[in-house]
Amino acid sequence: MSFAPVARRQGSAGQLLRGAMLVLPAALVTLLVVGGGIGATLLQALGLMPIAGPVTPGVDAFLAHPDDLAAATGVSIAVATVSTVIAVIVGTAAAVVIASGRAGSRLLAALGATTVTVPHLVGAATIGLLLSDAGVLPRLLGIPPESWAPWVGGPLWAAAIAEFAWKESAFVALVVTGTLATRIATYDETAALLGAGRWRRFRHVLLPLTAPTIVICAAISFVYALGSYEVSWLLGRTYPEPLPVLAVRLFQGVSLSSRPEAAAVALVTCAIALVAVAGTFAALRRTAVWR
Amino acid sequence: MSSTPRRYRRSAALALAVPLIALTACAAPESSASTAYEDWDAVLEDAEGQTVQLWMYGGDDQGNAYVDDILAPAVAEYGVTLERVPVTDTADALNRVFTEIQAGRDDGTVDLIWVNGDNFRTGKEADAWLCGWTDLLPSMAATDPDDPLLQSDFGTPVDGCEAPWQKAQFTLAYNAEAIPNPPTTLAGVLDWAEANPGRFTYPAPPDFTGSVFVREVLASVSGGADEVPAAYSDEAFDELSPALYDRLSELAPSLWRGGDTYPANEAELGQLFADRQIDITMTYGPATLTDLVADGTYPPETTVLPLEDGTVGNASFLGLPANSDSVAGAMVVANVALSVEQQVAKAQPDVWGQFTVLDIESLSDADRELFDTLPESPVVPGYEVLSENAHGELAAEWVPALDEGWRTGVLDR
Repeated sequence: MSFAPVARRQGSAGQLLRGAMLVLPAALVTLLVVGGGIGATLLQALGLMPIAGPVTPGVDAFLAHPDDLAAATGVSIAVATVSTVIAVIVGTAAAVVIASGRAGSRLLAALGATTVTVPHLVGAATIGLLLSDAGVLPRLLGIPPESWAPWVGGPLWAAAIAEFAWKESAFVALVVTGTLATRIATYDETAALLGAGRWRRFRHVLLPLTAPTIVICAAISFVYALGSYEVSWLLGRTYPEPLPVLAVRLFQGVSLSSRPEAAAVALVTCAIALVAVAGTFAALRRTAVWR
Repeated sequence: MSSTPRRYRRSAALALAVPLIALTACAAPESSASTAYEDWDAVLEDAEGQTVQLWMYGGDDQGNAYVDDILAPAVAEYGVTLERVPVTDTADALNRVFTEIQAGRDDGTVDLIWVNGDNFRTGKEADAWLCGWTDLLPSMAATDPDDPLLQSDFGTPVDGCEAPWQKAQFTLAYNAEAIPNPPTTLAGVLDWAEANPGRFTYPAPPDFTGSVFVREVLASVSGGADEVPAAYSDEAFDELSPALYDRLSELAPSLWRGGDTYPANEAELGQLFADRQIDITMTYGPATLTDLVADGTYPPETTVLPLEDGTVGNASFLGLPANSDSVAGAMVVANVALSVEQQVAKAQPDVWGQFTVLDIESLSDADRELFDTLPESPVVPGYEVLSENAHGELAAEWVPALDEGWRTGVLDR
């Protein structure tokens, strides 16, 4: 199927240049801030910016804790992936309900909008109070702490995943609702008039047309969960640590060599995020709407 | 289309200006003149009107209230404004100093840090502290110049790079309702933990409290604190640490959640104790116990557990970063904090209950009377009782080595 609601225009060389110039200020500021930050981190990781003592170039910082780094990468990717998948499924389903205008859709929209405004730190603290061994929920249910599943600090990272999924699903729902409220609604109606059932319309009209939005939302959600410190720190366990927690622990380490090691972990996190974003754009180019 | 070139120029100018302005802001400031003072009057003169930022652990409500309500008004009499900056870990404050030094800032925002141990040593390695200034403080006269706790900080010579503030004693406390016959040695505590699975745990190093607990176990499995050389050496570590990690690994399945995970810090450990999930807690600040029992957070039967083998004691200090922009003000704060009035006020159990660093014997009768008449806490015995059989801290180099060994030898089994 080839479908292009917004046709791509080539434009003359002058128009292209003008477009590039208009973007340039924003691009330069971004480059300065992000490039400066990553550049300084890179210098530290490569031993070129020590706090004290001579400059000792090398990649020692990347090789200092191979086991910790591998474990951290694994747990970070796992937590981010699982929470993103849940957020996308729940968020998309919520968006379809909100856009349908049926009973309860307004309530759902209000709930989503409220959830988005709650900071992650507050969300993490709330989930912790609710789900910990002696938290509000086990107390309300009269379950003793030792019989309560280890949501907080447990091997499955359930509380951290729940927090990310809860917050990000509201974000996905709001953005996808925005997409569904555009002219897509008319295609949906057309399909309905032609006799397509609910599932068919979702499968062949709504899903292909909202796919780019969903993919972008998923990438944002994944990268956020990958780089988030406070949620993993509050609700996670002492080992293995996710990448940001490992980076912060090393950064706060008392030996002078631990700063470059922290910078190395941060760069690995950054690289994974960049790969995820690059993968997203590759996937976007394959969607029907992009072509 | 005639406006297009102008637009180009405007965009280009803007595009160039923004990074340039930003880059100018990054330029290192010129270094300020030396801040060495000859006499105390010059310090007092300079301090007038300065604002001092004291960076300290912010998780202790009593400590926060003491600084805000008692210390800050006292230094305000000298024209110094004291601002408390709460941090979750002292290393955060030191990191801020490092970052500012890396950025070439001589007008640092950190003026005082509540510090000791490995943070002090690392700061000293990086030349981050102003040194040789504590002799100027008039209040130093009331301290004992031969007190080993004030001479060296975890084996690192103090060298006037930090002013003493208070003493601390590592303390275990238990719920007497749950443990009618408490153990009397640290080895006994570990045996008790094995006999009562799930009722004991300790914070994961490098948390401060978890770290000191591991050092206590090292002393215990090595046959006493005297058997562990205070100075660090790879040989001593290789010889002594296997027994420590074996004992802790053996203990792990009997811990809370089967040693599958550990509380991240003293606050989480205290939460488990408050929730009656464990029966023994531990702290380097026993003074906090009084309030926690009084407000019902901890069980009313909470009792301090004196150990026959003694526990480790140390002193904590106020360090002055070398790049502070309020050196004189910081010295005034350190001096006031060390005065008899402040040390007495801070020792009140309902204020903060911290132990003094002053040499009580050398004080005037009137001043000694102030300390002698301090009310006793219903939970925490006096310093003499707590510090019975106390031993000193190991050299700071031991701390990261033991912490890292614990991560690989116990946590990541």
